[in-house]
Amino acid sequence: MSYLKRRELLQRSLMAAAGSTAFGLLPAKLALAQSSLTGGTLLRGSTNYKALVCIYLYGGNDSVNMVIQRDTAGYAAYKERRKGNDGVGDPSNLAVPLANLLPLNPTQGPVNGGQYGLHPAMTGVKAMFDAGRCAIVANVGTLVRPITKAMFEMPGTLLPPELFSHSDQSVLWQTPASDVSSRTGWGGRLADIYRADNPNQVLSMNVSLAGDNVFQSGVQVAPYFMNSYGVEQIDSIQTSQANCMPATDWNARRCRTFKALQNLGASASPGHAFERAYVEKTQRSISTAVQVAAAIILHPANDVKFRPFWDAFGLAWTPNSTNLPELPDLAKQLLMVSRVIASRVALDMRRQMFFAGIGGFDTHDNQNADHPGLLRDLSQSVSAFYQVLNTLDAAESVTSFTASDFSRTISNNGDGTDHGWGSHQLVFGARVNGNRIFGKMPSLAPRASNPDEVGYGQIVPTLSTDQYAHTIAKWYGYTQTTVDPIFYNLQYMDSTGGILSIPGPDLGFMQPA
Amino acid sequence: MKLLRIWIYSTLLALVANSATAQQLPSDLIFRSGADHPAEGPFTPEEAARFLQQATFGPKLADIELLTRIGYNAWFDQQFAATRSEHLPFIDGLLNAGQTDVFQGERIESWWRNVLGGNDQLRQRMAFSLSQIFVVSDQNGAIEGVPTTLAHYYDLLSRNAFGSYRTLLGEATLHPSMGRYLSMHKNRKPDAALNIQPDQNYAREIMQLFSVGLVRLNIDGSRMLAGGQPIPAYNTDTIRGFAHVFTGWNYSTCVNPTGPNQTWHWDYCGTRAQADPETQDYRLHRGWREPMKPFGEGSAYADIYHSSVEGPLVSPAGAKQLLNYPSVSLANGILPSGGTARNNMNAALDNVANHPNVAPFMARLLIQRFVTSSPSPAYIGRVATIFNNNGSGVRGDLRAVVKAILMDSEARQPTAVNRGKLREPLLRLSQLYRAFDAASRVPGRIREYTDYWMAQAPMSSPTVFNFYLPSYQLPGEIATLGLFSPEFQITTDTYITRIVNEMGGKVFWQFQGNTNLPPVDQWNPTLININRDLSVANNAEVLVSRYNLLIMGGSMSTAMSNLLVAHVREMPNNNDDDRRRRLQDVLWLIMNSPQYVVEK
Repeated sequence: MSYLKRRELLQRSLMAAAGSTAFGLLPAKLALAQSSLTGGTLLRGSTNYKALVCIYLYGGNDSVNMVIQRDTAGYAAYKERRKGNDGVGDPSNLAVPLANLLPLNPTQGPVNGGQYGLHPAMTGVKAMFDAGRCAIVANVGTLVRPITKAMFEMPGTLLPPELFSHSDQSVLWQTPASDVSSRTGWGGRLADIYRADNPNQVLSMNVSLAGDNVFQSGVQVAPYFMNSYGVEQIDSIQTSQANCMPATDWNARRCRTFKALQNLGASASPGHAFERAYVEKTQRSISTAVQVAAAIILHPANDVKFRPFWDAFGLAWTPNSTNLPELPDLAKQLLMVSRVIASRVALDMRRQMFFAGIGGFDTHDNQNADHPGLLRDLSQSVSAFYQVLNTLDAAESVTSFTASDFSRTISNNGDGTDHGWGSHQLVFGARVNGNRIFGKMPSLAPRASNPDEVGYGQIVPTLSTDQYAHTIAKWYGYTQTTVDPIFYNLQYMDSTGGILSIPGPDLGFMQPA
Repeated sequence: MKLLRIWIYSTLLALVANSATAQQLPSDLIFRSGADHPAEGPFTPEEAARFLQQATFGPKLADIELLTRIGYNAWFDQQFAATRSEHLPFIDGLLNAGQTDVFQGERIESWWRNVLGGNDQLRQRMAFSLSQIFVVSDQNGAIEGVPTTLAHYYDLLSRNAFGSYRTLLGEATLHPSMGRYLSMHKNRKPDAALNIQPDQNYAREIMQLFSVGLVRLNIDGSRMLAGGQPIPAYNTDTIRGFAHVFTGWNYSTCVNPTGPNQTWHWDYCGTRAQADPETQDYRLHRGWREPMKPFGEGSAYADIYHSSVEGPLVSPAGAKQLLNYPSVSLANGILPSGGTARNNMNAALDNVANHPNVAPFMARLLIQRFVTSSPSPAYIGRVATIFNNNGSGVRGDLRAVVKAILMDSEARQPTAVNRGKLREPLLRLSQLYRAFDAASRVPGRIREYTDYWMAQAPMSSPTVFNFYLPSYQLPGEIATLGLFSPEFQITTDTYITRIVNEMGGKVFWQFQGNTNLPPVDQWNPTLININRDLSVANNAEVLVSRYNLLIMGGSMSTAMSNLLVAHVREMPNNNDDDRRRRLQDVLWLIMNSPQYVVEK
């Protein structure tokens, strides 16, 4: 289907949703979107498009087993901390065998040297890393100020609240600063700024495939939720059907009365400002669902361009979308993200942020059984995603990054690991300075002699989440000011004391905006 | 009188089945003589129903009948005297019966049990309002696994709902869940050698959120100005002063220190008392349900972590700057150096509770929870005046305050164009459940997932700033008009759809007698009783009129009523299934209509 035909179709669906008859009151923002659809400057190349994809690993990903030191001394330390109760070979041994690691040969390693490998389940990430489309950022964590182990143990040091707690740390990972739990995340705060760039002012700039999240919540912007199969729609009436037609439909009557009551709320005189606002929001909610559904249906999941998702997991692809459920959850989510990105021109979106997430990383026990599969899902889903983005001419426009509550204890609790702190993260995309490891790898030495370990196997971060976030935000176009209103603790992330492995607001893993 | 009651009740139930037109109020028939009603009102069942939407978790038919008969004053007296519903006994009961999977879901179940079944509706509604002001949330790692401490905290709110503001402020401050949530627990005095300064978290929030707010207020809630600018209610010295006062507190179960430099260690300050068996479930620990205590109080080494003489002021040395305001008891609002943790705490709480801001600040927040998002200054002023003096010289009498809020002319006979508020999602669901006598078909099980469907669950707000801010103004007409609209902050594209769908699930699926339901459903066991009304579904006018009263307090416009009547008339009416479908359509359409969602 040609570009213009797609636009016409979308426009028709918009008109139908907004309803010249059933919906008498056209929300101003929807009218704006319509005018942009019918205006003269429609074509925007994909180079104008920028999207972020946050891939959230709920529960705390054990990045100790994701990126593993493979030189002799480093692997020995790792093996010692991760060995089972009865030594290497028994089921409780968490150490990945050296021979199985996927060796990395980065153009630039961590500041403290060493050779590293990826978990054997991550062949897709290994290929992206080697191709320069993936970077590893070492030992990132929530920090209010740069601190050392000695400072951590000294009372009075400024620390993030409730360290090692899922609910708190997952929020702090998503907020632009690590001292106060906030309802706004850094993605949402950026969207408050950049949403103005979108000609389409109906669809939220932030789309979540994994439900509500702090990352995408701004002061003004709220995330719009989709699922892997499409949009959430009012299910007691078929709102996707224009003007509640056909009249023979089982719920057409209910649909008509529902809309008539909405119109009543909008038009009553003198009426009520709250009723008008509620009507506008309801219509907008319905219109958004209609609009997105109309756009993504042009890029169905069974389109051959999405085949890499099946290939990445060794699943047979057929032009039959009923096998979509076979895909792992993250693959399904990123497939839907691909469909929305494929619709970016039709949807008239120039700035978007997506949130995908999977759980299961809280591997207190059965880690050997559970964790490799999770890493495989992450790795293969993302590599398929970028193959698809290449096809969509969007790999340059889309940067993806991982985040998680924390890493896990470097020590072994018998058949799993407990809540940690600093963690390694992965950044993906054509604009990433890939094939490099940024930051400093923590020591895995025995507890008594470990300079980085606090508590019970937790590692003090040597990079902060706000440095990590800001580096990505900068690529997105965000310009830091002297006293940054969003990343307000970034001013303290400097070279004082030589604590941070990379000081300053830009960790260097992204190419210029 | 008894005869009259029966007559009214039966009339309500039949709802003028034989003579009504859509525009005729049932009360026109009930009170034909016009005189036989309580002197102070309500004067019609519609007025009673509207009042009960504000004052309870939603009226039942019998509630409307009762209030219409006995009048507001007697109703308040009954409510003030009603047996209090509690949460902790239910949670403890599960634990003591050996159930181990007792977490926040069980606490929320307890909330629904009390909201749906408790007779102390006004008290519970007040407790719910207070829980959105004195916020403690399960979205916090320190307390998320301890439903008992949150249940106990909620019981604290309901116990003080009709009591003294000062007592409530003190009990909330010293509750261990609050201590953990806002980190006053284990807050300790400054130590230069260790680079320790007292934590300012609770010092900030008690002033900003629980008492005075950021700027000085007039009695009507308007900002006091100096040179055209608002006057800050406090400054960083004040915050530091309170932060120093709020030091030295720990669980009540701590073992006393045995020396002046006793390490403040978990081993000595767990939530379990030394006398308790080590096998006791942590959720039953006394430390989670007793007020925090100054560490070492009563021992030879009392208050070793309290900032007694280490106040931040240079002059007078060691003193603490607290709130300074006209008529403040402490000279210039300064707490002198010295004193025990407990005495200093009491002095600080008195200093906060007596600030002139408290009356208008609390009046506005409470009015927003019960009646309207944008109360007039005069309304705030009238309630604030009662807060300052209940008529008997008592300050902070919450019983008098809640009655003043609900009986104010702006609540009972509002005239402002944009009065009222967007209904809270939880109150929409509770209203449906109460109106239709919802009951669980799995005894003792109520499971609701309103955080997912509606962005709101009791004591589960994302931060201490509640689900929404009291000053939130939805961009657009509402902001332009200068109105406030807290509940719109969680009314996003997605949640609008989810709420509509969740209400649809309750109305079209979760009803008693639905033969399509799975035999046992632990996860959605609560069913509404719509069969009760099948007989009235014969008549479209009567059906719509009944739900206008029961769901909308009689506020439905004629145009809306006409649309619904026409809708029902088009639907078949051959059997009970047809009638049930008529009823469900009307109910769903009303509960998702703009006229209903905006409570006026």
